[in-house]
Amino acid sequence: MRTVKKPETYDAIIIGSGMTGGWAAKELTEKGLKVLVLEAGRPIEPDRDYVEHVPISEMKFRGMADRQETLKDQPIQRTCYACDEWASKFFVNDKENPYTTDPGKPFAWIRGRQVGGKSIMWGRQSYRWSDLDFEANAREGIGADWPIRYADIEPWYNYVEDFAGITGQAEGLSQLPDSHFLPPMEMNCAEIAVKEAMARQFGRERVMTIGRAAILTQTHNGRAACHYCGPCHRGCITRSYFSSVNATLPVAEKTGRLTLRPYSVVHSLIFDAQTRRVSGVRVIDGQSHKTLEFQGRVIFLCASTLESTRILLNSATPEFSSGLANSSGELGKNLMDHIMGGGADGIIPGFLDRVQFGKRPNGIYVPRFRNVSSKEKNFLRGYAYQGAAEREGWERGIRESGFGAGFKNSLRKPGPWKMTFGGFGECLPNPANFVEIDKERVDAWGVPVLKIHCEWRDNEKALLRDMIIQAAEMLATAGAVDIRPFNHNSPPGLTIHEMGTARMGADPKKSVLNAHNQAHDVKNLFLTDGACMASSSCVNPSLTYMALTARACDYAVSQMKKGEL
Amino acid sequence: MDRREVLRLMGAASVFSVLSSDLFAATLRAQLAANEAGTLRTLSAAQNEIVAAMSDIMIPATGTPGAKAAKVNEFIDLILTEWATEEEKKIFLEGLAEADRKTNALFGHGFAAAPAKEQAAIVQVFDEELAASRNEKLSKQVRAWEQTLLFPFFAQMRRLTLVGYYTSPIGQEQELKVEIIPGALHGCVPAEPEVKQ
Repeated sequence: MRTVKKPETYDAIIIGSGMTGGWAAKELTEKGLKVLVLEAGRPIEPDRDYVEHVPISEMKFRGMADRQETLKDQPIQRTCYACDEWASKFFVNDKENPYTTDPGKPFAWIRGRQVGGKSIMWGRQSYRWSDLDFEANAREGIGADWPIRYADIEPWYNYVEDFAGITGQAEGLSQLPDSHFLPPMEMNCAEIAVKEAMARQFGRERVMTIGRAAILTQTHNGRAACHYCGPCHRGCITRSYFSSVNATLPVAEKTGRLTLRPYSVVHSLIFDAQTRRVSGVRVIDGQSHKTLEFQGRVIFLCASTLESTRILLNSATPEFSSGLANSSGELGKNLMDHIMGGGADGIIPGFLDRVQFGKRPNGIYVPRFRNVSSKEKNFLRGYAYQGAAEREGWERGIRESGFGAGFKNSLRKPGPWKMTFGGFGECLPNPANFVEIDKERVDAWGVPVLKIHCEWRDNEKALLRDMIIQAAEMLATAGAVDIRPFNHNSPPGLTIHEMGTARMGADPKKSVLNAHNQAHDVKNLFLTDGACMASSSCVNPSLTYMALTARACDYAVSQMKKGEL
Repeated sequence: MDRREVLRLMGAASVFSVLSSDLFAATLRAQLAANEAGTLRTLSAAQNEIVAAMSDIMIPATGTPGAKAAKVNEFIDLILTEWATEEEKKIFLEGLAEADRKTNALFGHGFAAAPAKEQAAIVQVFDEELAASRNEKLSKQVRAWEQTLLFPFFAQMRRLTLVGYYTSPIGQEQELKVEIIPGALHGCVPAEPEVKQ
């Protein structure tokens, strides 16, 4: 992809090249706009950078990671499961990218700065929101009401799913609308048994379905079907899972109207008080550290939830002294993440003569069942489970006793089927969970950093307790033995579903963005990543970010054509 | 043709059926051969002999090669040199001395020089001691980012021997017959015979 040498004027500048930046690039270039995508990190060449097929035997530390290096350079990133010995290069250096938190209140900010952003290492789980989610704030009088409902976003879910390719099984559940699905992946022996036992016990109240994921189970839009090697977060040379590098950016590139500029660390946006528009973007070159400026008619902030908000906070002007487009005072507030790390596992007896063939990059899913038809006393909203059954391999030998030929032969066969349910709970918007600029610190490029104030509150903690108990009970229902409830004490941030801090809303006095992700205060400024979210649902958010981005692009171009922008 | 080219071809068309897994394995082995090193940096020659012998008692050659052939000792030397903390390393090296002391007490000579039967008896003693002292912390699965070797010597030795063996080319290709690219997903199939796509 081309890189630019000197400032030019573009129809649109997109900040960020990940999940939402890639979609904005595709949509805006396809609609005829000349687009500049600014990416803070390095370029990614799949042939060179993807490492999903590198055998563990070729890794220096054989999967145990370079402990000393990661302790030094990635003490936060290393707490993410995907930041392994292969894929740690897709995560930022924490020393170059500092942020601060309150004592005793950690927030794990997991970041990917490269072309593709976190869409390279994301979990690929893709679920639609429903009106149970969009109406929740209004129903309960919490936060700001969403300015949209399911009917507004449904056509855009259809649109992005048809392009991205989502595998899954239609279930007809009101709280988790079906997508346009590619064929589902198969459950394994133990999962089928648990699903059937749950159906007998719970009927349609608690349904176990195969995970819905942005992974191709058949050839789709010129991309190959999954070959079941397993570790998608290390890349995919066959482009079988959705990422901006695998899917949207190549389409944008083909239009001939895309300029992608890596190593472009956005410092701030330039606001023209005369026109009341953003006139351009102030960039620090990631390699030379020189300051550059780029001009664009419309600006799309797609830098990730906290980076987009950080850019707005760093773009304060005399008029917007607390951050650009912040006349509402809501910028930075209501940070959310799904509470996770609570669940249970147990052994499902039987099926010892049967195995799963192929490494399925997807699990099972139990859609939310709390406060759907029931009304819970102890908490608002609900949670869903992700999970899987697996037969453990040789690793179990580390915990067992024994040695010698018999021991070796026993480890050749897989262990019993172990079923795990891990919950993901909705986080309520709370203005006390917020971010601001830490005036004391800058990052490696001299950009002031965020101070994050965030902790789980009572409702999230109540959801966590319930998700642990119910996971254990579901396993008991399924006849599991050796059931072990767990609580990993997972800090906010680590779910990497961080949302909010620049919420959408109908009222400019109470929200930063309108129903089309357009800043109330600055008409040519759009923000379509997770920062826009007014509530968090309990389902994985990326599919909704994709749909909102495509929808916002459609609106922005229609406004440009009308001469409104 | 290197690994990348093989995989790129796979992306271009449905060539799974013609892509021989032998060819794939051969390209990997060729790369590995070029990477062979082998000089010890932490273990002394005497300590290395104990590690090599003990790992091979734990994972011996059967129908497939064992820990010694898989060079588990070299992996352990790497971990001690570049991965472990000073405290963890000290526990491990003291454990090797303890292996010699135990063998001397029972058989009147050092561990490495002992016949396999005597070495197995000493490993049995270590294994039973560990089983007796095993607690929740030792038995729970350690998450990758929590990785530590702050365990008693034989827990370290067990972990490193198993990781070193099963993640080696011998462990992956000959013992476990790992298929990096299964090419298909079947949720619930008989364990034997193996499914072919």
